[in-house]
Amino acid sequence: MFQYILKRIIEMIPLLLVVSILTFLFIHMIPGDPARLVAGKDATLEDVNRVSIELGLDQPIWKQYVTFMGNLFKGDLGTSLKTGLPVSNMFADRFMPSIYLTLLSMGWALVIGLIIGTLSAVFKNKWPDHLGMVTAVSGISLPGFWLGLILIQIFSVQLGWFPTGGAEGWKSYVLPSITLGAGIMSMLARFTRSSLLETLKADFIRTGRAKGLKESSVLTKHALRNSLIPVVTIAGLQFGFLLGGSVVVETVFSFPGMGRLLIDSIAFRDYPVIQSALLLFSIEFILVNLIVDILYSTLNPKIQYE
Amino acid sequence: MRKANLWKMLFFALVCSVLLVGCSDENGGDSEKGQKGSDKEIVIAVNENFISMDPHNTGDTNSNSVQSAMLEGLLGFDSDGQITTVLAEDYSVSENALEYTFKLNQGIKFHDGEEFNAEAVKVNIERIMKDESLRLNSRGFNLITSVDILGDYEIKVTLKTPYSAMLTRFSVAKMLSPKLIKENSDDIPKSPVGTGPFKFVEWVQGDHLTVERYDDYWKKGERVKKITYKPVPENGSRIAMLKTGEASVIYPLPAQNLQELEGNKDIIVSKIPSTIARYVSINTMKEPFDDVRIRQAFNYAVDKNAYIKVVNSGFGLPLDSVIPSKTLYYVKQDVYEQNIEKAKELLKEAGFENGFTAEIWGNTNSDTMKGMQFIQQQLKEIGVTVEIKSMEEGTLSDEIFGAQTPEEAKLQMWYVSWSSYASDVTNATKPLFHSESIPPNSANTAYYKNTEVDSWMNEANSTGDATKQAELYEKIQSTIYKDAPWIFLGVDELLVGTRSDIEGIYVDPTGGINVSDANFK
Repeated sequence: MFQYILKRIIEMIPLLLVVSILTFLFIHMIPGDPARLVAGKDATLEDVNRVSIELGLDQPIWKQYVTFMGNLFKGDLGTSLKTGLPVSNMFADRFMPSIYLTLLSMGWALVIGLIIGTLSAVFKNKWPDHLGMVTAVSGISLPGFWLGLILIQIFSVQLGWFPTGGAEGWKSYVLPSITLGAGIMSMLARFTRSSLLETLKADFIRTGRAKGLKESSVLTKHALRNSLIPVVTIAGLQFGFLLGGSVVVETVFSFPGMGRLLIDSIAFRDYPVIQSALLLFSIEFILVNLIVDILYSTLNPKIQYE
Repeated sequence: MRKANLWKMLFFALVCSVLLVGCSDENGGDSEKGQKGSDKEIVIAVNENFISMDPHNTGDTNSNSVQSAMLEGLLGFDSDGQITTVLAEDYSVSENALEYTFKLNQGIKFHDGEEFNAEAVKVNIERIMKDESLRLNSRGFNLITSVDILGDYEIKVTLKTPYSAMLTRFSVAKMLSPKLIKENSDDIPKSPVGTGPFKFVEWVQGDHLTVERYDDYWKKGERVKKITYKPVPENGSRIAMLKTGEASVIYPLPAQNLQELEGNKDIIVSKIPSTIARYVSINTMKEPFDDVRIRQAFNYAVDKNAYIKVVNSGFGLPLDSVIPSKTLYYVKQDVYEQNIEKAKELLKEAGFENGFTAEIWGNTNSDTMKGMQFIQQQLKEIGVTVEIKSMEEGTLSDEIFGAQTPEEAKLQMWYVSWSSYASDVTNATKPLFHSESIPPNSANTAYYKNTEVDSWMNEANSTGDATKQAELYEKIQSTIYKDAPWIFLGVDELLVGTRSDIEGIYVDPTGGINVSDANFK
């Protein structure tokens, strides 16, 4: 297993290299000149050109790429064109809040989603199923910004239980994680339900019941375990996306996360920030995938590491 | 199936009732909650992130606001945005507009204990002169030939060529501790050290920036202990913070939420005329816009008051000159009041009785879209069909500034805005109307070329005589306004929300928040 993980991590390197080249090309292909934005609206062409040279934007793309990668290997993500601050400095205050928020949202969404999904499947077409699925449909259909603003209105403005935003203390994570997790919880509930229903029809479940296993044991040890494979896949994908930050939730709750930073940087054509952020997201995604693969084989030992 | 529907309906009813409880009684929420009156701390929520704390390299209003709590310049701006002395006790400009002499206030110390004197000023000015990557470098400071210390508290700056915006630049260029510049210049954008009423505490990127009262501040007065600035981009969240008391001041106050605050005694709303001009620049070198009658017809076709109502929620003033009313040397012009008949007549004279089709460009911002649709609707009245082309900002900028010559330019009309310091009439005119500023060189996207106006601008720039400048700018304004290179629309009014227990905080016409006397009542 350790060897497998090591192998997978080594495999990441060429993949990341390709990702870095592609993103670098894509970013520089977007129309728009950061030098003009840095220089300001009232700048003259002369100012713009000077800024361009100052920032190294006059160099050919391959040269800029080599410089970026060279610095990266020295552990330097570069300097933001917009703020003049080191990119690592800009990430530092946002990375961990984004991770915490993701874990929290994902955590409750997984627990509640699995419970609702399981109950719905077990009590198919009975009231727990209806209640569960109505909750799930609501969770998916409520737009994040709306849910967020309503939560602020009720729990911050009216009741005063939680702050309206920021990332100071656990209290400020409650409302954003509810908002962010709602959709995912619903999705997981629906996947769990349909997957579990599918599994419950399988022959080995009938066999289990026939040989006199307790229903609870059939459900938890056999059915649920087998039906979790697609759920894990979806959860993994969602987890990867969440790590990239959520612009909506970060905006509504003025949450210092990676999503808005990336969007703002794209608007400004802040190449070093975009490039580093995308690289970071790729690494996160690959790692999450690795975890998902390991989970597969834990859930179903028939799936082997190669 | 019927049973299922019943459950769904019940649940829906439950959700609705919870939400109704939450939404009703908007002003009934306990407004005292979350207020930190006792330890005397104020939270100010603004709409955007701060970009940099380097005062010599800042282009955005919010960064400037935060810096102004900690840092001061030789000169500064009063509440009308006009120039006033701060660290300098007095200043004079030579007649040829080349020499600036400053007498400095004495007994002032930077937050790190360094003394403020002529030497400290010299270190600051030389930093900007030498570092080409700094924004202020290209804005006047690269014209400086020498900085001479005349005494411990007197300094003279000499320019190569006259630059009439220099006084504004000296107000923008706030003074940093010479020790910081010499020893830790990498820290400047992160944690500046100045002479202001508050000193830097911490900046958590994207979350907040906190400053604390500097007890040895050279000006007397009582101030709050701490101020925390928070970027809160979502309008609804900013309003919520003001209502709960989590924020004492919010800027900007979103106009569409104003109704919610009516009758709320805990909140005071202030309205400030800004220096933000909104207009449509018309490519005066392109047919048929090269005919002044067409451009005037466009101006007569637009109802400015309706524009302000529709696009700016009613908060604004008509743009009745080429510069906003708060700008230095502003003179009100004979406004193009909406007159469809006159507009049609002008079109007819120009040979376009049956109208024509034109294109307007703008960014993808929802307010811009609203503005462009408004123009489209107004020009339809005089038979002109306007096609709207909205583009993402960077793409738009490439489209406009990618044209190397006026002939190459595809731009017909551009819905855009401009703002500059109220004291800086040069920047409010030269980049927009001087023929040297035609793209790609600068922002004269009307491709306006009038040799007389050019020479007046040059003359105004090369004199230190204020009366002469006022005369020249009067001529410049009336000539350009008549030439109508823009559809003149409006000037924004800025809205600020302040809780009623706060005093001493004001917003100037450029949107800068002044907190030097901030306190609880």
